Amino acid sequence: MSSETTTGATEPARHGVERLHVAGLHAPNDAVLSVRGLNVRFNSENGVIHAVRGVDFDLMPGKTLGIVGESGSGKSVTSLAIMGLLPPTAQVSGSVRLKGQELLGLSDKAMCAYRGNELAMVFQDPLSSLTPVFTVGTQIIEALTIHHPTMSRAAKEARAVELLAMVGIPSPKDRLKAFPHEFSGGMRQRVMIAIAIANNPRVLIADEPTTALDVTIQAQVLEVLHTAQEETGAAVVMITHDLGVVAGMADDIMVMYAGKPVETGGVDDIYYNPRMPYTMGLLGAVPRVDVAEKASLVPIEGMPPNLLHAPTGCSFAPRCPLASDACLDGEPALAPVAGAALHRAACIKSGSLGGSVDVHGVFAAPPVAVSRFDAIPRAERSTVLQLKDVRKHFPLTRGALIKRRIGTVKAVDGLSFDIREGECFSIVGESGSGKTTTLLEILEFHPDQDGEVVIGGLSNKQAADAKTKGKMRRELQMVFQDPTGALDPRFTVYEVLAEPLQNVGMDRPAIKKRIMELMKLVGLQPDHVNRFPNQFSGGQRQRIGIARALAVNPKLVVLDEPVSALDVSVQAGVINLLDHLRAELGLSYLLVAHDLSVVRHISNRVAVMYLGKIVEIGAVDRVFDNPRHPYTRALLSAIPVPDPQLERTRERIILQGDLPSPLQAPKGCNFATRCPVFAALPPAKQEKCRTLEPPLEAATGSRDQQFACFYPDGELDEDMLVVHETVDHHAP
Amino acid sequence: MLKYLAKRGITYVVMIFLTTSAGYFLAVSSLKPALLEQERIPRPTPEQVANSMRLKGLDPDLSPWERYVDWLTGIVTRWDWGRSPNGAYINAEFGDRVWISTRLFLASIILTLVIGVALGVYSAARQYKVQDRVITSYSYLAYIVPAPIAYFLVQLGAININESVGDRIFFVTGISTPGLAPGWAQFGDMLAHYVVPTVAITLVGWGAYQIAQRQYLLDNVNADFVRTARAKGLTRNQAIARHALRVSFIPVAQSIAFTIPAIFAGGFFAEKIFAWPGVGSWSIDAISLQDVNAATATLAYGSVIFALGAILADFATTLVDPRVRVQ
Repeated sequence: MSSETTTGATEPARHGVERLHVAGLHAPNDAVLSVRGLNVRFNSENGVIHAVRGVDFDLMPGKTLGIVGESGSGKSVTSLAIMGLLPPTAQVSGSVRLKGQELLGLSDKAMCAYRGNELAMVFQDPLSSLTPVFTVGTQIIEALTIHHPTMSRAAKEARAVELLAMVGIPSPKDRLKAFPHEFSGGMRQRVMIAIAIANNPRVLIADEPTTALDVTIQAQVLEVLHTAQEETGAAVVMITHDLGVVAGMADDIMVMYAGKPVETGGVDDIYYNPRMPYTMGLLGAVPRVDVAEKASLVPIEGMPPNLLHAPTGCSFAPRCPLASDACLDGEPALAPVAGAALHRAACIKSGSLGGSVDVHGVFAAPPVAVSRFDAIPRAERSTVLQLKDVRKHFPLTRGALIKRRIGTVKAVDGLSFDIREGECFSIVGESGSGKTTTLLEILEFHPDQDGEVVIGGLSNKQAADAKTKGKMRRELQMVFQDPTGALDPRFTVYEVLAEPLQNVGMDRPAIKKRIMELMKLVGLQPDHVNRFPNQFSGGQRQRIGIARALAVNPKLVVLDEPVSALDVSVQAGVINLLDHLRAELGLSYLLVAHDLSVVRHISNRVAVMYLGKIVEIGAVDRVFDNPRHPYTRALLSAIPVPDPQLERTRERIILQGDLPSPLQAPKGCNFATRCPVFAALPPAKQEKCRTLEPPLEAATGSRDQQFACFYPDGELDEDMLVVHETVDHHAP
Repeated sequence: MLKYLAKRGITYVVMIFLTTSAGYFLAVSSLKPALLEQERIPRPTPEQVANSMRLKGLDPDLSPWERYVDWLTGIVTRWDWGRSPNGAYINAEFGDRVWISTRLFLASIILTLVIGVALGVYSAARQYKVQDRVITSYSYLAYIVPAPIAYFLVQLGAININESVGDRIFFVTGISTPGLAPGWAQFGDMLAHYVVPTVAITLVGWGAYQIAQRQYLLDNVNADFVRTARAKGLTRNQAIARHALRVSFIPVAQSIAFTIPAIFAGGFFAEKIFAWPGVGSWSIDAISLQDVNAATATLAYGSVIFALGAILADFATTLVDPRVRVQ
C-alpha cells in the first residue's frame, strides 16, 4: 500500500482530467495497477446510491491485495469498475491506471484490449459463470483467440491443455471436449482460473472465488490461485468477506465499509494491530477453529448505513461503541497510524487504539453463557434425541416404463448418536455427505423408517397417529438456513409467532403475552410485532426464525446452517444469542454447519460425516484438537484461520478431487479414494482399507471420542501436503 | 441419436394410431351423412340413400366397430382413406388440400420465424430505446387483434393499392388465375396471388416470436457467463451474440416446432378469407357435411404434423443444447 497522498496540498484547483493526470504522476512508477479517487454512483428509484466513495490503492507486481468487507461495502463494485464491467448506467469517476495507462473513460471496445489480456477476473459463482452450451476447450481457446488472432489452432489447443493441467484438472486433453455441466463446482472454478490466466495477465482480480465452495474444495482452489500467481507473476486483488481466506495469501489488506476504505495496511498490521473499531470488531466477530478457550464473539450492533444519503460523520459511528460527538463531525479521512509506515486508518481515535485494547471490552461482548447443565456430567443428563442405526437408501432406477434398479444411493448409512439435555451436538461434512438427509429423517416421524429415532422418550416406531406425532413435534423445532425464505412475506411477525401457539391450542391473551416474551428473548423490540419480515435485516429475520422455533418451548432445536447466510458481524450476534438461549432455557441443539469455526465455538460434541457415515464423533475439543480420522484432519486443515503468521506456516492437507458420487462408494473404507494416509500406505496395508469397512471405535485414552479408521497414525502422503512459506521469510 | 429418434418415432406412431382411432369412433357415432342426403330435391327414398352410402363404404346400418374394421383394413392394405358422402375420394382430395395448405403457409412460417427472432434479438439489444418500444408494442398489438380482422385489414390495404395504381397488382383471394400459359406469365400470376396472404399471416405471426426471443435473450444478457465472456475481452455486443444468443434460443427452438402444427392444422381463417381451400377449412367443412372419413383424415394429419413438430423440437433442442445430448 502506498503512503503517498493523492493530491498535493500546494496544487491549485484543477479540472478533473488534469487533476487525474497529476494523480497518476504521484503514483509509484512500478505499480501495475493504481487506483485514485474511485467513485461509483448508481441511479435507483429512490435516488442516487453512492456505492463506492473514494477508493485509492496501488498494486505492486506479484503482490496480493485483499479487499475485505461485508455485503454492500462496495468491494465487488470496485472490482467491476476497474474491469469496466459495470452497467452503462453507473457513473464512474476517478482514475484507474494499468501500468500507467488510464482505463476509466475508455470505450467498451478499447477496454477489450486489456480485459482478459493484462487484466483478468475470476467470479464468485462457478456454476453460472461458464456458458453452458460450449465446451470448456472452446471457452479457453476463445480467450486466446481474442488477444492472439494469429495463433494457430494447434498452438491454442496445446496452450489450453497446458492451462488445464496447471490448474489441476486430470487428463486435460480429454476434458477439453467436456461441457461445463460435466464438471463439479470446484472443477469449474479451476476452469475459470485457467481462462483468467490464459494470456498471462499482470493483474488478476478474484471476487469471492471460493465463497460458493466446500471447505476442502476451497483449499484446493486457493492452492490453484496460488500456483496461478506463481506461474504468471500476476498481482492479485482478492475480494472476500472471510478474513481467514486472505490471511495467508495477502500482502496488503484494505478493509471497506459503506463504500470507503476505512483501514489499509500490511497484512500483519491489520490483523495484529487494528486501529479502526470496525476492523477490530470484524476480527473479534469471527470464531476461531484453532482456539479451544471459550470467549463470546464480538457482536457489531446495527446495520451498515444507507448509501443514498451522504454520511455527515464517520459512517461507522452509529454502530461504534467508542463513538463520541467528535465522530459525527465530518467523515474522517485515512490517516497514517503512528509507528507503522504504510498503515492507515480512518478513525479519529486510531492513536488511542493500540495493541493493548481488548476488543471484547470495547464492543461489550456478553459474558460466556453457562448452562445449569454444564456442571452435571453428561452421563447423568437425560437423553433428548437418540438415533439408532438410521438408514436412508434411495434406489436409483433407469427406464421409462419398466423401472430397473441399477444401484442404491446410501444417503444415510447406519447412523447412531444421542443428544443429552443442554448440549449442542453438531454434524459437519462436505455437501453430499448426508447431513441434510439425516435432519429430514429425524423430522420424518414415521414407523416405517429404517432405524429408530427417539425424541423425548417417544419413538418413531410408535408414531402411527397424528397425536403422537404432534407430541414429538413439540419437543423438536427447526431454524432454517435462509431466514428470508423461511418467513412468509405476507405474515406479520405477530402472525409468524402466533401460528405455532395457535396450533397447540393456546388462547389469545396467552399468545399475546408469549409473543412479547419471545421478542424480548431474542433481542427484538416487542413493538415491532406488526411489521413484515422485509422490514427487518437478515440477522433480525433469523432472530424471528429462532423465536418461532422457541414458541412452543421445545427441548431440542434443530439448526440447519443458521448463520451461513449472514454477514460476519451479524453472525456473531446470532451465535451469541444461540449460546445465551441454550444456557438460559436449558435447550439442546442439533446443529448442521459447514463452517467448522462456528461449530467449534458453539458445540459440545461433534460428528464428522462422510458419504452417509459418521467417521469421527466425540467431544468437540477432543476431536478438533486431536483429530484421529484422516478426513477430520483434512477438514480442519482446510479451514483458513484469521491469523496471517499461522496461516503462512501451517501445513495443509489438500484432498484430491471431489466427494465421490454415493453410487461409486468403495467397498471398504469410503474415504480410501481421497485419503492421504491410504495413499502413503504400503500395498499390503492398502488392501485392508480397500476390502474391510473400518468400524467406529473408541480412541485410546479418551472416553468421548470414536473414529473409524484402521491407520489413524499412518504417515500422510507428501503430495497432499502443502506449506507455502517459512516463518523467517515473512516475519514482521 | 438415431436410436433415440427412432424410439420417439415409435411412441408417436402409437399415439397417432390411438388418437385417430378414437377420432374415428367419435365421428362415426356422431356424424350422420344420411340425414343430409334426405334434404336433396327430389328427396331420395331411404333405400336409395342407404344404397348410395353403402356403395361409398359409409353403410349406416353397420355397427361402428364393423365400420372401423373396414376403414382400418382399407388404410392398412390399400392406403385407402375412404370416400366422402358426395363420392369424392379422400386420398385425392387430401393430396390437393395438403399441397395448397403447404404452399399457403410454408413461406409465411419461415418469414415469421426469421423476422420474429431477428426482431427479438434487435429489440433486446436496444432494450427500452425507441426501436424496442415500437417493435414490442407492435407485437403486443398483433397478439391482441384477432387474426381474421388483421387479414381483412391487409386485404383492404392491397385493394387500396390496386385502386390507387389503377391496375390489379395483387390478388386478394384465390390461388391462381385459370387458363394462363405456363411460363413467366404464370409465375407472375402466382406471385400476385401469394403476396397478400403471405404478408398478412407473417405480420400477425411474428409478434409471438419477437416477444419470446426478446424476453429469453434479456434473461441471459446479464447472465454471469456473459460477464465472463466480457472479462475475456469481448465487447458487450460480441459477448451477447456469441454466448447469450444460443442459450436464449433453446426455449424458442422448442416453441417453434410446436407452433408449426398449430399453424398448419388451424389455419382455418386464413384459408377461408383468402379463398385457399386447404386442410384447415376442409376439416371444418367435413364436420358440417357430416363427412366421417374426411374429418378423421384431417385429424390424423394434425396428429402426424404434431408428432413431426415434437420430434423437430427434440432435434432442435439437442442441436443447440449439449446438456440434453443423448449419450
